[in-house]
Amino acid sequence: MPKADSRKPKATKIMKKTFSNIAYFLGSMAILIGIWQLISIITKAEIPSPVSTWAVFKELMAEPFYDRGPNDKGIGNNLFSSIGRVFTGFALGSIIAIPMGMLMGSTKIGMSLLNPIVQILKPVSPLAWFPLGLLAFKDSGGATIFIIAITSLWPTVINTAFGVSSIPQDHKNVGKAFGFSTWKYLTKIVIPYSLPHIFTGLRLSIGIAWVVIVAGEMLSGGVGIGFFVWDSWNGLSLEKILVAILIIGGVGLLLDKGFNALQNLFSWEKA
Amino acid sequence: MTTLENSVKFVDSASDFHKINSTETAVSIKDITVSFKGSKGTFTAIKDINLTIKKGEIVALIGHSGCGKSTLMNTISGMVTPSQGEVIANGNIVKGPGPDRGIVFQNYSLLPWLTVYKNIYEAVDSVFKEKTSIEKHELVEENLKMVNLIQHKDKLPGQLSGGMKQRVAIARAFAINPSILLLDEPFGALDALTKGSMHIELLKLWNLDNRNKTIVMVTHDIEEAIFLSDRVVVMNNGPEATIKKIVDINLPRPRNKKDIAHDPEYVRVHDELLNLLFDKFSIED
Ligand SMILES: Nc1ncnc2c1ncn2[C@@H]1O[C@H](COP(=O)(O)OP(=O)(O)OP(=O)(O)O)[C@@H](O)[C@H]1O
Ligand SMILES: [Mg+2]
Repeated sequence: MPKADSRKPKATKIMKKTFSNIAYFLGSMAILIGIWQLISIITKAEIPSPVSTWAVFKELMAEPFYDRGPNDKGIGNNLFSSIGRVFTGFALGSIIAIPMGMLMGSTKIGMSLLNPIVQILKPVSPLAWFPLGLLAFKDSGGATIFIIAITSLWPTVINTAFGVSSIPQDHKNVGKAFGFSTWKYLTKIVIPYSLPHIFTGLRLSIGIAWVVIVAGEMLSGGVGIGFFVWDSWNGLSLEKILVAILIIGGVGLLLDKGFNALQNLFSWEKA
Repeated sequence: MTTLENSVKFVDSASDFHKINSTETAVSIKDITVSFKGSKGTFTAIKDINLTIKKGEIVALIGHSGCGKSTLMNTISGMVTPSQGEVIANGNIVKGPGPDRGIVFQNYSLLPWLTVYKNIYEAVDSVFKEKTSIEKHELVEENLKMVNLIQHKDKLPGQLSGGMKQRVAIARAFAINPSILLLDEPFGALDALTKGSMHIELLKLWNLDNRNKTIVMVTHDIEEAIFLSDRVVVMNNGPEATIKKIVDINLPRPRNKKDIAHDPEYVRVHDELLNLLFDKFSIED
C-alpha cells in the first residue's frame, strides 16, 4: 500500500502548514493591534484605541442594515452597495479588458496600436476621471462605476495580452496542423492557455477596483462604504472610520483570496 | 510474445511482394531551401533538397541530430514555408498544413488542458465536420484502443509517460485518416516491445488501406528504418544540409523482424547505412 503510506504524511503536513499559517496570521494581527494601541497611547486617545473601536464596531454590527433615510444607513447597507458597485464596474471593465488584451496579444498590429493607449491611460488617477464620468452619466453613481471600470481594467488587459502572446508554438501548431476553426482555436487553445494569466489580471483588477471605490464614493456621496467614511469624518467619529478601514481591508483580503481560489480552479496542471 | 508474432503474420498474411506499382506521386520536394532569420543573420538549415515520394511508399529520413530532418518534414506538412523551392503534396502546392497530411510532432504537441480523449476528439471534430458526434466518438475510441490507451482516456497529458504521450499523438494523426502520414520520430520514446507493436499497427493501417497511404518518418533507429521503409533517405550534417544518399530497401514484404535480421540484403543495407551515418570510422581504417 505505498499509496496510503505516501498520503498520510502529506495530510499531516498540510494540517501542520495550515496550523502554522493561522498562528502566523494571529501573530501578525497581534502586532497590528499592538502598534495601534501604542499610537493611541502616544496621541492621548486622539486616535481611538482598539478597545473603544471594538465597542463601536459591536454597536454598528448590532443593527447593520437599518435605513433611516438617504444619508443614514447601516454599515451593512453601505458595504453591500459598495460591493455591488465594485462588481458592476469591474465586470464592465473586464468585458472590455479581456477582448482588448486578446487583440493585443494575438497580433503585432493590435499590440502596436493599443499598447500606447494602455500606457497613457493606465497611470491616470481615478479622481481625474470623475468629472468626465459625471459629465457623461449625469449621475454620481454612474460616474463611480465608470471610474472603477476605467481604472481597474488595465491589469486585466496587460495580463491577458501577455498570456495570449506567450502561447507556445507547439500549441499553435496543433491548431494549424488539424485545421482548427477560429472558434475552436480560441476556445480550445487561446483561452485555456491564457486563463491563468487572465485570472491573475482579474485579481489585480478587483484589488484596484476596491481601492478606487472608497475615493469614488467620498466624491459621489449617497450610500457606500466610502461615503460612510466621509460621513463619519463629518460626524467626528474616528472609531467609525477605523471600523470602516478594518472592514475595507478585510473585504479586500477576501476578494483577493476568492480570486486566488478561482485562479487555482481554472489553472491546468503544467506538464 | 506470441501475440506479437501472430499479429505480424496477420498483418502480412494477405500480401505478397510489395511493389510500388503506382506511378502517382504523393510528395514532390523541388529544390527546397529553408533559411531561418535570426538576430545573427540567416541560418540555412537545408539546401537544394530534391525528393520525390510515390504514393504508397514508406520513406525513412535519417541523419544526425540537428541536420534538418524535422525542418524538411515541416516543409511537407506546411508548418514551415521554404525560402526557396516548393513542395507538391497530392497534386497541390503546399501552402500550409492540411488534413490530407497527418502529423506526429517530435515533441508530441498535446494540449495539456485537454484529456487524452479530448485531444484526439478535437482534431477529429475539426477534420470531419460532416460526421455525427457518435461517429466521431467511435473513431476516437477505435484509435485509442489501437494505441492501447483506452483505459487512460480521461487522463491529462501531464499525467502520462513520454511513451504514452507519443501514442496519443500517433492515435491523433491516425484518427484523421490522412493520405500522407508525416511522423517525426514517432516511436523514439517507446520501449522495444511497445515500439514493435506500434510498427505492426502502422503496417496494419497501411495494409488496410491497400498500401495507398504514403508514410514519411524521421527516425534515429536504423533497424526500424529498414524494417518499415522502401527507401531510406540519409541526410548530411547541417548547416545547408543536403541529401547524402538514398538507399533502397529491397526486402520483400511481408517482413518478419526475426527473419529479416539474417537476410544478406538486410545485413548489407544495415552496414551501408551505418557507414553513411558514421563515415569517419570508415575513412580512418
Ligand atoms: N524555428 C527555427 N529557427 C531557427 N533555427 C531553427 C528553427 N528550427 C530549426 N532550426 C535549426 O535548423 C537546424 C535543423 O533543425 P531540425 O529540428 O530540423 O533538426 P533535426 O534533424 O530534426 O534534429 P533532431 O534529430 O535533433 O530532431 C538546427 O540547427 C536548428 O537549430
Ligand atoms: Mg527533429
